[in-house]
Amino acid sequence: MKMLMKCQLEYPLSFFLQTLAQLVMEGGEMMAVILIIDRFDRVNQWEAGDLFFFFGIMSVTFYLTECFGRGLTGNFPYLIRTGQLDTLLLRPRGVLTQVLCSAVDPRRITCIAVGTVSLIIGCNLARVQWTVLKVLALAEAVLLGAVLILALFLIEAVFCIYSVKSVELVNALSYGGRSACEYPIDIYPRPLRILFTAIAPFALVLHVPAAYILGKPLYNWPEWTAFVCPLAGAVFFALIYLVFQKAMRYYRSAGS
Amino acid sequence: MRSYLSAFRLRRKMELQYRGAMLGGIICQVMFGLILIALYRALYAGKPQALPLDHVVTYVWLQQAFFRMLLASDPDLLDKIRTGGIAYDLCRPLNLYGFYYARIMAQKITGSLMRAVPMLLFASLLPKGWGLSLPASVPALLLSLLALGLGLLCVSALENITMAFTMRTLDPRGVQAMLNLLMMTLSGNILPLTLFPDSWQKVITLLPYAQLLDAPIRLYTGDVPVGEAWRILLIQAVWIVVLTALGVWLWNRHQKRIVLQGG
Repeated sequence: MKMLMKCQLEYPLSFFLQTLAQLVMEGGEMMAVILIIDRFDRVNQWEAGDLFFFFGIMSVTFYLTECFGRGLTGNFPYLIRTGQLDTLLLRPRGVLTQVLCSAVDPRRITCIAVGTVSLIIGCNLARVQWTVLKVLALAEAVLLGAVLILALFLIEAVFCIYSVKSVELVNALSYGGRSACEYPIDIYPRPLRILFTAIAPFALVLHVPAAYILGKPLYNWPEWTAFVCPLAGAVFFALIYLVFQKAMRYYRSAGS
Repeated sequence: MRSYLSAFRLRRKMELQYRGAMLGGIICQVMFGLILIALYRALYAGKPQALPLDHVVTYVWLQQAFFRMLLASDPDLLDKIRTGGIAYDLCRPLNLYGFYYARIMAQKITGSLMRAVPMLLFASLLPKGWGLSLPASVPALLLSLLALGLGLLCVSALENITMAFTMRTLDPRGVQAMLNLLMMTLSGNILPLTLFPDSWQKVITLLPYAQLLDAPIRLYTGDVPVGEAWRILLIQAVWIVVLTALGVWLWNRHQKRIVLQGG
């Protein structure tokens, strides 16, 4: 991990610019939220603070995944195409562990920071009364959210094993899910709601606990759902992991 | 001139190779379009705005359809600079600036037209309130096409400037990511520029980023009436001249000082 950090810092000017670019990007997204709130005040029962909170929890989770899961999100298609995955197969450790540990992306830290700021603003504006249970709910949501996003990238990896080339299509679920679920799920029409609740369960993992913390339970579900629903993320990951195992058995080297 | 045209044609053929990736890209963009429209519909339901919802929806679709034009990416040149392959290009009896300008144009036009046509067809089939609406008038459509062309020239010139910087920094990702992101925000891809606060719009619409898509879309929806179109076209023309001049100057300067990598 340390070596990887050093590699990233080899080109200092470019690294600095990239980090800055990340900041501009996330800042830009947050600015969009600010401008939307400035113009529209609120959506349904969600006020400004709530919207900041939803945006914050999403970006912290997403970029945590990207920061530490870079090996899977960025390099995996390359590993497949060049056949370098073979080296990993020879080592006495799980492939997934090795891939995950093969890269970190410190540039995402700025994005996580922006998300955190948004979360804090959201908490202040919405006057959240913190309790131990709520802290637990937040931690669980972020953790399992990261697991869920990792699972989505894993789907991409599976496609990649079968088709050698990376498939943009899966981005519709992962990045599309990120864009959509920066806002509370219940403002969307039914098909989108089903997609992000039942198929890629962002709503269950992130929105149910977030709504609980904000004190405006989603669909008026009881309190305990805030702790049970995020488990959907873990279940989802387990399912995809099984498929991944199967795909690994199918894997044939592409390099020579 | 003919050699630049053939550089353009070759690059276009390259772009046409990747049809599978294109289909994935289209589905992805449609998805994004639908999500954004769903969001704006929910927002409008809460608090209607002076700007009609139809205009916002059309704005979103056109932005998504021509999304590829916004992204700066010519990995070839960047590789060439890093590996030293650019030496071959330097041997060509051509102006390098023009050569790469033609390549960038080809990539943007082909890449986005292939995506835009099926997407816009799909979008115009959607029910009202979700789909693309017709242009305000025939002259408005023609003017917006003209503005799109000028905007393209403008953005290609801008991208060529980043290329010139790559010759200095060697690792292009920083500058390129920077440009891409400024583009995304200031061209109205993340949030339509028409929804920015009015005082901001006055400044942002003057910047080169807004010229590519925002300006043509405003003409298309009729937010800028045909009578005032000359102002947009004038701004675009000024930017094209300024950016091209700056780009040529930077290229000539950096070309003399370039250090060839590799052996």
